[in-house]
Amino acid sequence: MIRIVTLSEFPPDVIDFVTRRLHAAYGMGCELEGEGEIPADALDDEQSAYDAVKVVDEMDDDVTLYADDKILYLTTEALTAPPGPMGRGPVDGYAQYGGGKALATAHGLADKGVPLEVGLAKRAAHYVGHLWDLHHCFDPRCAMHPGWSPGFAAYPEVALCLFDREKSERKIKLGSS
Amino acid sequence: MATKSHEPVIGDGSLHIGDRVVYPNQGICRITGVETKQIAGQNWEVVTLSREEDGATVMVPKGKVMGIGLRKVADVAAIDRVFDELAIPNTDPQLDWKVRHRENADRMTGGGLFGTVEVLRGLHALSRVRPLPQKERELYDNARHLLVGEIAAAMNIPLHVAEDNLDYALWPPPGMTRKGRPLPPATLGPPSPTRPATEDDLGLEDEELGGAVVAAAPAAEESDEEEEQPAAPAVPHKPAPEKEKAKPPHKAAKPAAARKARPAPPKKAAPPKKAAPKKSAAAKKASRKPAGKTKVKRKR
Repeated sequence: MIRIVTLSEFPPDVIDFVTRRLHAAYGMGCELEGEGEIPADALDDEQSAYDAVKVVDEMDDDVTLYADDKILYLTTEALTAPPGPMGRGPVDGYAQYGGGKALATAHGLADKGVPLEVGLAKRAAHYVGHLWDLHHCFDPRCAMHPGWSPGFAAYPEVALCLFDREKSERKIKLGSS
Repeated sequence: MATKSHEPVIGDGSLHIGDRVVYPNQGICRITGVETKQIAGQNWEVVTLSREEDGATVMVPKGKVMGIGLRKVADVAAIDRVFDELAIPNTDPQLDWKVRHRENADRMTGGGLFGTVEVLRGLHALSRVRPLPQKERELYDNARHLLVGEIAAAMNIPLHVAEDNLDYALWPPPGMTRKGRPLPPATLGPPSPTRPATEDDLGLEDEELGGAVVAAAPAAEESDEEEEQPAAPAVPHKPAPEKEKAKPPHKAAKPAAARKARPAPPKKAAPPKKAAPKKSAAAKKASRKPAGKTKVKRKR
């Protein structure tokens, strides 16, 4: 089961759209679990964006999880991540690879010209995919394609490529066994 | 010093118990100890490793530790060089699948960091030209998985941050720079074919679709003909020779169809014998009709 926790206010129809798209993408149940508050101390040094890694790690929620459950946090806040060898790049979410928690933001979707619910659903599917060890995909139509690439806006529909779909199915089956 | 003297020598002496190492094709492992195992009636001294990803235990005969390519996790300087290399766009992927397969297999079994980088870069460049076949798609994912794991382990950053940085180099977002040099922003690559082309594709369809068929052809059907592909762009008058090349097989097919069609008119002309005046008109029509239509009529 994919459990969604909202950290900002979202219209109900947007959440409904996201849950339906996630269910279609992974064949798993997906429901809105509740609301939460983004940890204030996760703000970065410039106080302009939240450190995505800290948000996920420090998030204090009382969501009951079972063996294969995954939590997806949704927010509208700007996110950042620790600088890597390439410096800082655009960050629209974070996921614990092979873990249980992921975070996706709706921030910046308007700049891409993608409707809120569609863009958020695609980002959500992307970060939930990382929870099943899916890596980035070179197919621009796949939800696992990097979010900053032109493929995100060119193919806004939530779909996984054949390879990623099979891999996620395998991982989900292994998890449930 | 006393503990070091009791510590077993692993490999060339550079590896110690507790070290994080990279096992080729397996990923990051930690050396947990040296044990003696009885296998097939013989005592074998094996080095036990624990794979960090899932905790699986790997046992390697002590004498083969260096031979299999076990090595320490790369240092930060090496990772920096990896990103330098990744940031150079690869515009010349190996198109010969046999050479590519051999080279990639050697690099992966070798277990070197830069070998894995080469595999990833090569397949990434190829994916920009055409969709990867299933086996190479798996190899691409495997190389990416190993590289992300090693970058994260070497730099002590989360896996997700490591993969994002890897893709900042491969698909640079607008404004991304590397050591002060701006990188070309990502462009839209070709999507995978929605419907794989079947072997039923005949010359007629090839003619209709033109060069698009070549681009969308499944890589699984790769053959030695690929060796000719790199040479094709070098030809100055590209469209004309391609048509000429494409025509011969089609031309060869046409006479065959025509041969089948030629005997048909007399057969079709036979039934209209009853209507004598229409005979010549029917024969004329049959001669004008394409081969496909005559075939259908013959079946009747």
